[in-house]
Amino acid sequence: MSLYWAIQWRRNEGLGALFIVLAGFLILYAVLFPGILSIGGAGRFVQNWFPMALVAVAQAMIMLTGGIDLSVGAMVGLGSVVAATSMGGAFGIAGGTAATLGMGALVGTGVGVIVSIGRYPAIIVTLATSFIIGGAALLILPRPGGAIPPVLSDFLAGDHPTAVLLLILLVLGWKLYQATPLGIGLIASGDNPTGAYRSGVPTHRARIVAYALSGLLQAGAGLYVAAQTGSGDPVIGQPFTLAAIAAAVLGGVSFLGGQGTLRGALAGSLLMSVLINVMFFMNLPPVAQYVVQGLIIVVTVALPQLKQMLRRAVR
Amino acid sequence: MADDRILLSAAGISKSFFGNPVLRDVSIALAPGRIHALLGENGAGKSTLINILSGALSPNAGTIAIAGQTLRALSPAGARGFGIAVVQQELSLMPHLSIAENIALGAAPTRFGLIDYRAIKERVSAITRETGITEPLDLPVNKLALGRRQMVEIAKALFRKPRVLILDEPTSSLSAHDVAILVGLIRKLKDQGLAILYISHRLNEILDFCDHVTVLKDGSLTADRPLAGMDAQGLVRLMVGRDPNDLFPPFQSSAADTVVLSMQNFRTAAVSGIDLDLRRGEILGLGGLVGQGQEDFLLGLYGAAEAAADRFTAGAATAPFRDVIAANRAGLAYVPADRKKDGLLLPHSIDLNLLLPSLARAGTGLFRNRREEQAVTQRLAERLSIRGDRGRPVQALSGGNQQKVALAKWLPLSPSILLLNDPTRGVDVGTKREIYLALQAMAREEKAVILLSSDTPELVHLCDRVAVFHKGRVATVLDHAAASEEAIVAAALGMNHGVAA
Repeated sequence: MSLYWAIQWRRNEGLGALFIVLAGFLILYAVLFPGILSIGGAGRFVQNWFPMALVAVAQAMIMLTGGIDLSVGAMVGLGSVVAATSMGGAFGIAGGTAATLGMGALVGTGVGVIVSIGRYPAIIVTLATSFIIGGAALLILPRPGGAIPPVLSDFLAGDHPTAVLLLILLVLGWKLYQATPLGIGLIASGDNPTGAYRSGVPTHRARIVAYALSGLLQAGAGLYVAAQTGSGDPVIGQPFTLAAIAAAVLGGVSFLGGQGTLRGALAGSLLMSVLINVMFFMNLPPVAQYVVQGLIIVVTVALPQLKQMLRRAVR
Repeated sequence: MADDRILLSAAGISKSFFGNPVLRDVSIALAPGRIHALLGENGAGKSTLINILSGALSPNAGTIAIAGQTLRALSPAGARGFGIAVVQQELSLMPHLSIAENIALGAAPTRFGLIDYRAIKERVSAITRETGITEPLDLPVNKLALGRRQMVEIAKALFRKPRVLILDEPTSSLSAHDVAILVGLIRKLKDQGLAILYISHRLNEILDFCDHVTVLKDGSLTADRPLAGMDAQGLVRLMVGRDPNDLFPPFQSSAADTVVLSMQNFRTAAVSGIDLDLRRGEILGLGGLVGQGQEDFLLGLYGAAEAAADRFTAGAATAPFRDVIAANRAGLAYVPADRKKDGLLLPHSIDLNLLLPSLARAGTGLFRNRREEQAVTQRLAERLSIRGDRGRPVQALSGGNQQKVALAKWLPLSPSILLLNDPTRGVDVGTKREIYLALQAMAREEKAVILLSSDTPELVHLCDRVAVFHKGRVATVLDHAAASEEAIVAAALGMNHGVAA
């Protein structure tokens, strides 16, 4: 086996339980709602999951640098608002898409510069920027409005496998990114910042690029949500902040940085998505989602401790 | 040696931190094909000098000459560019990346902008063969023991094909087997024409294979000469600036007959089968190579690690302590080795740190009695000669003075058994002596002391008895008379059992 694949295979370590649980839930879901097994049903299911997958990956990138992003929800809202207000402009769909994604990357870059070069804790910086971003979204569109051209809505969220294709592109893009010195530098600078710097890794650049790409993905999730609903909504992203953290943590991405995988984050977000769907179909109140997500984070973080206690009790 | 043979040199280097001079007018010259030893006590300025040579720090004065250029300072990237590689004591590895990725990190070969894993495998395998790394290259580094990580660290430095290799105490965490591999490797690199700067506290290593020595004492140069004709005694004299025997106060035993702590088949996760008695007023040393279970033994005694025993008595207790609070109540106190992390609240005042263990007992009722507290801390400071304003944060103190605070804070509880984990690690010579005197004074006051030390002369000069650990067991217990450095080191290497390490 070549070195690359051997290393990749090692990174599955610790994810086995998640994959098994995920498979179990997917089977349960298919039994409860056999509709998912049709091509159209599966397509709709992936579309439901897609924005969650984007924000989970976005959050995982920040957590890999050793930070955390509390502005994910606000950014999704701003992304949806910018998309819904810019598509009608002179540059049309292409211009609106570029404006939305560019805005995400730009804001991400700014946050990355503050966190990396300014050496401020990400949790504080992103808490502050979450208010700035959320406020900006409300200033642009005080209430839901604007419009996404029906063509784009149909392309992204209609009866086409666009979301599946985008997911495949995301995975391929990530693989390429991780195979560049900058991509591995992202993990290195979260794993051992001093060591990475001493080894000649451009740690600032690696972190800032990660924040920029994360911002781009978050704004992209906002655009997708707007395409699903056909309009912009400044507060539609709120549930995503917690969900993104829960999905990443569930996917084995460590709060301490340097540890985690894209496949983990994707699996975590898929599990979250299934859970939310199940709760929805069971007619649980939407607030229950928050309780469950919060519990997931606490339990996942406490899991290593629990395991140790259990081992001790057995002995 | 002709000047044109010199690869990297620094001249007249001075550096101070916050007004404290750390290096004064130090010069050093590294020649290809020569192993240059850098010696000095902790705090003598060795690390600062290395950091200047590797570009991590800029000197306040002096120049650095390399490859025909004379510079005011190097940058880390510049130093790398000139082929200077450093193997640091603090590891610079990424725990979650594989061995191969760690070795190549920052210098990975690429193809079309992507990391070329095939090329990495080829080049890394060649180096790991030489360094004796047999683990699979895709293994994450956090799965390796400390000593093996050190070997990866060395492989990483070699991956960059350096012309100057700086090794900062590379053998401190290595097994005897790995040390042998490393020494062979260093000799080979020397023959290949590398300039090697070798920092170690192990004098026998230095005498064994180094060619030239630079000795620092308190930031100044005390020697820069070939090693030929030098012996260990002479090197030590250059490092401490006095006869090594002056460092230790004359031995005195205060041991009484009363046994205060006794155990049979005491065991923890890392040690087993320990039978020991501790008498009042006795100083019992724990020796051995690093990581043979000594530390776990102390933590087990202190209730901080799980422990069991067939028979155990300490005062009224008849079983190992279940937690630290129980151990404290029974009169045990523990001074950890990592004082910065475990022993002190660095940003807080000396006063507060000194009071911390006794806060629950001091004062009357609900409120603190500031005047009484001041009196207590004043006494403690005098007793251990902690000088200056006690309102200063502890982090403003030198390592040695921090250690004194970590030790002094337990005294108000008048513990009957003191467990000390390497109390003089990273402490300057003068403060060491003060700590030794304090230990003897405590023994005179009928406290029993267990002194874990990585510094063998301490065990020789201070302890009534020395228990030497080897592979999680007590290999031997030596009386003061029998506890020579040779005897302790021999036992630490497991030689009593006829097993050569």
